[in-house]
Amino acid sequence: MALSLVGAEAERRPAGDPDGWQDPDGWQDTAPPHPPGEDRAGPALRFDGVCHAYGDHTALDHLDLEVGAGETLALLGPNGAGKSTTIGVLLGLVHPRSGHVEVLGTSPRQAVAAGRVGAMLQSGSGSGLPPGVKVGQALRLVCRLYPRPAPFDVIVERAGIGSLLRRRTDRLSGGEAQRVRFAMAIAGDPELVFLDEPTSAMDVASRRWFWEMIRDLGRRGRTTVFATHHLAEADEVADRVVVLNHGRVIADGPGATLKAAVESRRLRFVVDHVDQAVLERLEGVTEVTVCGTTVALDSLDADATLRALVHAGVGFRDLEVTGAGLEQAFVALTGCGRRAAQR
Amino acid sequence: MTALRAFGTFEIGRLLRSWKFLAITVGFPVIFYLLFLRDRPAGEVVDGAAPWREYLMVAMCSFGALVAGLTGGGGRLSMERASGWARQLRVTPLPPWAYLAVKVVASLVVVLPVIGLLEVLGATFGGVQLGVGTWFGLAGLLLVTTLPFAVLGVLVGSVVSPEAAFPVVTGLMFVLGYFGGLFGPVAQMPGVLQGVARALPNYHQVSLGLGIVGGGGLGAANWLILLGYTVALGGLVLWRHRADEARATT
Repeated sequence: MALSLVGAEAERRPAGDPDGWQDPDGWQDTAPPHPPGEDRAGPALRFDGVCHAYGDHTALDHLDLEVGAGETLALLGPNGAGKSTTIGVLLGLVHPRSGHVEVLGTSPRQAVAAGRVGAMLQSGSGSGLPPGVKVGQALRLVCRLYPRPAPFDVIVERAGIGSLLRRRTDRLSGGEAQRVRFAMAIAGDPELVFLDEPTSAMDVASRRWFWEMIRDLGRRGRTTVFATHHLAEADEVADRVVVLNHGRVIADGPGATLKAAVESRRLRFVVDHVDQAVLERLEGVTEVTVCGTTVALDSLDADATLRALVHAGVGFRDLEVTGAGLEQAFVALTGCGRRAAQR
Repeated sequence: MTALRAFGTFEIGRLLRSWKFLAITVGFPVIFYLLFLRDRPAGEVVDGAAPWREYLMVAMCSFGALVAGLTGGGGRLSMERASGWARQLRVTPLPPWAYLAVKVVASLVVVLPVIGLLEVLGATFGGVQLGVGTWFGLAGLLLVTTLPFAVLGVLVGSVVSPEAAFPVVTGLMFVLGYFGGLFGPVAQMPGVLQGVARALPNYHQVSLGLGIVGGGGLGAANWLILLGYTVALGGLVLWRHRADEARATT
């Protein structure tokens, strides 16, 4: 458990004294603290054929996954896809039935015990915080549990909880509690940070702020894995998005690529005479919905569809082009993925 | 070790600052002691060779051990599991056993003021006269024999939900206390109930305490039974936490 830093790094950051740091800005930490002998660029984490089930329900189905050091990875998937189980396994909270898991070159348990990992878990109905104490006391405790904590003031500033420190943990709103739990996740200045649906209780503004926090972890070289069921969030923040469904990886790639692959537009217009067969043959059209005189076309290439629409001489009016809903994109994505998996 | 020390300091500090909790753990046994004190003549021999005044003081200390263990471990642990805090700690370098160990130690720390206060009341109002060494010996003995109750509290907290914690804790407190012979000497119970009392831990804690007070020596059987309770309850706690890990929620 006694994992210590060597050289100047260790001298700069005395363990167990987060309060001694008066100047947050003077604390440079662009390089993640690699323990001696682990400078070789191994993956931050690796799953090899990991299977897990709760009773009859398969949670992870031969999951293979490798995440490089410094990557920001989004685990995207609907509820029950296996995101939380994946994070649970990576933290040593869940013991998979079979397969091999490696975190920072060691076992999940050892990585956690060495203070190299930080996590923000889903707290369910509770706040995830100790009842009856002030936020500052709880956070100071978490700092002291780690061998090389980040300076207290730096954590407070990053998580934006300066005004909450004297508040009791049971008097926080859902979003405030999320921030405090985020502070706890980064308190140990870990190399690897897991965030399980970190923005679930947040309003739009907090959510944007939080995305910036995740990007900041990436800029500082930390490996970050976060679970979400919002494609936009994954796309916005992550270098790489892994889509999980039924405990398997069904898509894996840069967020923008994934989004483009499922980029779909809906053209909606009013037309007096509808010939559905003509509409279905238009370029790019994947689905035609007719409701009275209103027609909706789902298209993979809105420009081409529109040109074809004009060319075909369809007398449309009140045209409106919208992006397909994210949920719809997600359905398309998981649908594609399932076909890909079957091939 | 630094993690263990940090968590221990935090936890015990938190308990000692929580006046509601302290009021219950200290208040219950002290109030009962003052209520029952005049029930019988102070010198009436009630249990073996022990007079009422001495029996009651020791019995209420034992009740204090029960209350401290059950409310300290039970109620609070159950709340912390529900709030997700216990799980959050699991992903820090604090070893999982340290969390439970600190909970047990915290209950022992909380029982100290109960024992101290009851001894002071016993010496001033209760008419109990002991040598200085015996006072300290009794306090030490009662502290050590609180261990099975502290472990019992942790077990209850590891099993029940916060909603169930209050009835379960109060229920156990009075059932174990009553049948364990804390509210009336076991020697004066009907035969069947005497058998029940001898199977329960509080009876043996009281017997050991009265052994010190009366100078009658300490019974090995009492020690063994308390040790047996501690080991068995501790085993259940570990088993429960293993099971918890194996079927961690999605």
